[in-house]
Amino acid sequence: MSTRGAKLLFIYGSLLFFIIFIGLTFDTMKKIDERTPPITHKIEAGKKVWHKYDCIGCHTILGNGSYFAPDMTKVVERKPKDYLKKFIMDPKSVKSNASMPNLGISSEEADNLIALLDWISKVDTNGWPPKPLLASVVGAGIKTLTEGQKVFQSQGCINCHIINGIGGTSGPDLTKIGTKRDKNWLYEFIKNPQSKNPNSAMPSFDHLKDEELNQLVEYLSSLK
Amino acid sequence: MIAKYEGQKISVYFYTFAVLLFLVQVIVGIIAAGQFLEPDFFFLNFNTIRTLHINAMVVWLLCGLMGATYYVVTDESQTELWNVGLAKFQFWATVITILLVVIGYIWMGLNPSANKEIAGTLLLNEGREYIEAPRWADVLIAISVILFLLNSFMTVQKTKHWTGIQGTLIGGLTFLALMYIPGMFYTKSMVKDQFWWWWVIHLWVEGAWEVIAGALLAYMLIKTVGAKREVVEKWMYIEVGLVLFTGILGTGHHYYWIGTPSYWLWIGGIFSALEPVPLLLMVWDAFRTTREHREVANRAGLFFTVSHALLNFLGAGLWGVFHTLPQVNKWTHGTQITTSHGHLAFYGAYVLLVLAMIYVTLPSIRGVKEFNYSRAIQSFWWMTISMILIVLTITGAGMVQTYMERIIGLDYISVKAEYNYWFWIWRIIFGFGFLIGTIIFIYDFFTLGKEKDVVIKAETTNA
Repeated sequence: MSTRGAKLLFIYGSLLFFIIFIGLTFDTMKKIDERTPPITHKIEAGKKVWHKYDCIGCHTILGNGSYFAPDMTKVVERKPKDYLKKFIMDPKSVKSNASMPNLGISSEEADNLIALLDWISKVDTNGWPPKPLLASVVGAGIKTLTEGQKVFQSQGCINCHIINGIGGTSGPDLTKIGTKRDKNWLYEFIKNPQSKNPNSAMPSFDHLKDEELNQLVEYLSSLK
Repeated sequence: MIAKYEGQKISVYFYTFAVLLFLVQVIVGIIAAGQFLEPDFFFLNFNTIRTLHINAMVVWLLCGLMGATYYVVTDESQTELWNVGLAKFQFWATVITILLVVIGYIWMGLNPSANKEIAGTLLLNEGREYIEAPRWADVLIAISVILFLLNSFMTVQKTKHWTGIQGTLIGGLTFLALMYIPGMFYTKSMVKDQFWWWWVIHLWVEGAWEVIAGALLAYMLIKTVGAKREVVEKWMYIEVGLVLFTGILGTGHHYYWIGTPSYWLWIGGIFSALEPVPLLLMVWDAFRTTREHREVANRAGLFFTVSHALLNFLGAGLWGVFHTLPQVNKWTHGTQITTSHGHLAFYGAYVLLVLAMIYVTLPSIRGVKEFNYSRAIQSFWWMTISMILIVLTITGAGMVQTYMERIIGLDYISVKAEYNYWFWIWRIIFGFGFLIGTIIFIYDFFTLGKEKDVVIKAETTNA
């Protein structure tokens, strides 16, 4: 190939690929609207809060950003919104060893931010992030769960609490909770956490039936 | 002895600002690494430090490329820069803008609420990775880049001696400038925001910047070993052509999981898997050309040129292709694996490119024909070995994270704080190794050609 031939190939080839890319961009723009829920004023305001406080300087969202703090794509599926709000506004009051500083985010800003996070969790991301393989396999492999374990699972307690190394770190580790608290205390706390600890960011679980609460308490006190 | 053209002295202004920002980048990088262990040990939070780390990098690389371009256009066209005064003005305007932006970042770091919305844009920080600079700074940066492009273009137009290298270089720089525009689009949708954001980031680093690298590689091969222009320019066109043929649609590997249609899994998978091909071609080109020419005019320059080609392929090519296929990327996306790729790619592709250009051009700007290049080699090994070790620790952390968090299902914080703890410690230690290399380089930069006993002055003046 001559130098001139290589030059022409470079120029026209690149233009061709760029034109294809622009065509795909137009199509993608249309399809994004079908793959994402409608955007309200509150969600848009939440996006502005996200940018204002440079959240991406520590977190990722849709897997893009900084890798210093957890990804925010599905956070509303894992954490109760009340907890999120308290944490966003004053992280260390909720979790004393939290890495996140107090950024001075107002109550309204926190609500808007959570609206954005709720929106982002509903975006069709082609199945990302994938469900952890082993957790699903182990879940399927367990033959019988006790009634208390079922309540623990159905209420998503594992999203915030660790048992035997697995689970979220937002709340205390429950691996040996049976040695630390009696059944009565656990019952009262789960029903209304703030009655025992006014600073607790855990939501109340008083929507559980008495029977379910007792089963859950039974399970937790067996953890020793 | 003086440089042949006044315009080439302007290159040193840009190089100086670039190497100082390089030092800032490395120091804040070590602070950021320390914050992985102790988030509160420094008076600025991680997000501010990281913003400084990545923005210092983008700016110093761009300044280095601008300095290199002013040298190349005057040398290739054999004429004075179109407007030396304008270049000086553009330099100082850039420095002042960047310093204002940095002051803004630090102010926001101390008082996050100060980042207020004014006229629809944020005052201090746009909160968008890599392009955090606020809109007023975007406008000033754009003006600076337009003045720079105008000056470079008009210089070549003076003699109308458009070599392939000049055309490709200025073409790549113009593409780079144009791709800054999608970063300024406002959109209500976070998904569309990220879509356009990748136009800037991907089409810069895996498009425009690689085109510039291809042009400068050709230039450096001519300068260091006296390669034949017809041959290197032909290969340059093939390389940069393949860069864009694979790189433009390779953007698709960023569109797998952000709410964009699933056809990107195919397009991104196929084209991004081919992205290392032109980079491998550049390695082959560098080695073949070097082997064919026994006369080496500038050993330090050649050493950095060949190393740049090799580490560009390793960092941008291999370390990228490992996790570019959707089946792998589904598990690794958003983990430290990406960070490891980012570090090796930027170092190999662009840090070494700018350093190579400095070693190729600085001796003649300072008027020396030969110089003691032992410090250049020392700094190279300190930086390169340290960077490879840094990248290995981050890759290790990424593999542990992918396995523990994505496959087993442990919490992000548990993995970061417990399982990856030692990787963070080692990264800091290797970070100091890199800093030593950087300091040796900067010392060499400021003293090269000025130490009377170790340099041999060129025999003829070009004045």
